[in-house]
Amino acid sequence: MVNIKRKWYQKTLTVLSTLLATTVMLSGCGSGGSSAGADGDAVTITYYTIDSPDRTFVEQLIPDFEKQHPNIKVKVATAPYEQFDSKLQTMIAGGNAPDITSHFGYGGFAEYYNKGMLLDMTDLLKESGFQADKYKIPKNLMDIYQVDGHTYGIPFSSYVTLLLYNKDLFDAAGVAYPPSDYNDKSWTFEKMVEDAKKLTVISDDPNKQQYGLQFGWGELDNRPFYFGAKMYSDDTWTNGGVPSESYFDSPESIAAYKKIFGLVFDDKVSPPPEWSASVAGQGGDPFVTGKVAMSVGGSWNLSGANDFGFNVGVAAVPAGGNDKVRSTLFVDPLFILKDSKHPKEALTWIEYLLQTDIQKQSIELSGGTPPVNQDAAEEYYSHFQSIDPKDLRNVYEGAYQYGYESFNHLIVNYSQINDMMINEMQPLQNGTAQVEDVMPKVQQKMEEILARSKK
Amino acid sequence: MITSNRMQESGVWTAARSRHRVDLTRIVSFILLVIITLIMLMPLAFMVTTSFKSQRETMQYPPTLFPESLQFSNYTEIFSRLQFGTMYQNSLMIAVITVLATLLSSSLVAYGFARFRGKGRNLMFMLLLSTMMLPYPAIMIPQFVLFSKLGWVDTFLPLIVPAFFGSAYNIFLLRQFFANLPEELFDAGRMDGCTEIGMYWKIALPLSGAAMATIAIFSFIYSWNDLLTPVLYLNSADKFTLPVGMASLTSSKFRVAPWHLLMVASVLALLPIVVLFILAQKRFVEGIVLTGIK
Repeated sequence: MVNIKRKWYQKTLTVLSTLLATTVMLSGCGSGGSSAGADGDAVTITYYTIDSPDRTFVEQLIPDFEKQHPNIKVKVATAPYEQFDSKLQTMIAGGNAPDITSHFGYGGFAEYYNKGMLLDMTDLLKESGFQADKYKIPKNLMDIYQVDGHTYGIPFSSYVTLLLYNKDLFDAAGVAYPPSDYNDKSWTFEKMVEDAKKLTVISDDPNKQQYGLQFGWGELDNRPFYFGAKMYSDDTWTNGGVPSESYFDSPESIAAYKKIFGLVFDDKVSPPPEWSASVAGQGGDPFVTGKVAMSVGGSWNLSGANDFGFNVGVAAVPAGGNDKVRSTLFVDPLFILKDSKHPKEALTWIEYLLQTDIQKQSIELSGGTPPVNQDAAEEYYSHFQSIDPKDLRNVYEGAYQYGYESFNHLIVNYSQINDMMINEMQPLQNGTAQVEDVMPKVQQKMEEILARSKK
Repeated sequence: MITSNRMQESGVWTAARSRHRVDLTRIVSFILLVIITLIMLMPLAFMVTTSFKSQRETMQYPPTLFPESLQFSNYTEIFSRLQFGTMYQNSLMIAVITVLATLLSSSLVAYGFARFRGKGRNLMFMLLLSTMMLPYPAIMIPQFVLFSKLGWVDTFLPLIVPAFFGSAYNIFLLRQFFANLPEELFDAGRMDGCTEIGMYWKIALPLSGAAMATIAIFSFIYSWNDLLTPVLYLNSADKFTLPVGMASLTSSKFRVAPWHLLMVASVLALLPIVVLFILAQKRFVEGIVLTGIK
């Protein structure tokens, strides 16, 4: 009896401990396959992106690419948006860096560049005879990711800031649609607020409550730029993203932020944050619920517009006081990381993604990613059912003319700046503090961050 | 009510009345407990009902508690839209192996610390406990370097193998438990010719049902909820675990999160933990009964 029992427990013990060995072996097989580089001449390159359908669509292009380039295998690695940067840092530190990626997370180009993560592509491009014209990339977009004449990234999608409006709400209130033409001089910030007032319905019944405008122009620190205020010293844009000075407590900045937060608390045309969270959920976009008439923001707000359940229109961002700038550009480049073992093959993949027909396909596959290739752009302009292609073309052309690249891609340590802005401006968002009191503190904290960046 | 008033009037019923009063405090506390339970259950109930709503209805304000119409299709949609089945399977496999491995490795080490005396035992135990003070981010990168040199990136191994090497907290918990087992039991085992490993398996483990159940639950929940480790090590979508997939549902910064699907995922993700808890609860009671020596 004892013997039988002992056998039983010994057996169980052996089973459990062999479990370790088996799992090691089983999963070990899987890893053996992925690291195959000596398999003929085929090399594997890794493309790292966000785990979201509008980004992972590239997986569907891989079979076609691999057919054209039998010696290159492409693997897609993903992470959720929140964890994108930390995983990238860990991969690089662990000697397991992906070959190609973009600043899909919080961090921007300047951060990657200053941390020395990016490959200087200049020689590589020369060697392969890369021509931006061949892929119809506008020259001013190509310039964004150059530092001192060296290229560190190639644009592949280009988002701009635009104004979306809910045609149904405009019709119901009998307000004329805003213009898409950037040269229409009557379309000003004041006019937009005036329209927004007509479109705002204050009601005790939360279901009937409706707001005229949400103003998400650029990131929080960019916003005064729209009204003509200067936020960072000019050297920022030429020295690789390290501002020597910032001006967040200047009278112009304060006046600008007063206008922005006044939309909620003085004009009462913009929703307070708690209302937005209650209708659209944490981090959701209330415009999508059909309870906000106009939304100024990045053109990613358009993705999925065909499923919104109401008719969407696009219009120019009105003139706000800055003669040169009315739209923030968010041009996403593709980078090759410095640690890449196959930069040549990585460039082949990038060039593939930039081809006109692939850029066209990508619009459909991703649900509306704006292509950088201007030959494919026409397809993008006509992608949205309720939007007149002419309007979207006007808005994009105007945005390129009156656009500048978003600060978040160009300034070092931007994630720190952004976190600080969000934290310090919380009382302003909630209406519990005055702009005049908050801005000197913001300026002081900004100087501390910038001082660290200069080191 | 009328009868109870009459009862109060007549002195004959005094005894009954005092019993009646005892019942009243019980009733009041019962009602209070029910109310508190309901309040605690509210978020859970809301999660379940939201999982049956259409996306449009999840955005309604004020929110509805009961769905206008039951969208059973949410439960099929999540499988088609998220590869939910694969993720569930991955998570379950990793969690089950992790639990078994943790139980085995931690109890073995704990048994050693509890039963054997030798030079440097306390020092070794201190060293072991000091590993509890290391936060995960501190070892994250060195560990990643190690595992990527072993070629384990994009496999389940980095998520499973560490469990085979014990965890300080669980070892500590079990050591205390084993140390409190009466020495007489082991003496009896030794007299019957039981080996040390046999005493571990046949005396110490069966008597530690409560502690083992606690550890099983803890390690299961830890593995089940872990987001950071899978995010770091897993690259291919077919290897993702539930938390990674669910984080991706909310993390797309371009759209409104599909809350109804998230709630479906949450309901389904909750099930194994509920089942495990029900199973483990039995062991809790058993453990207490069995430890008693007369």
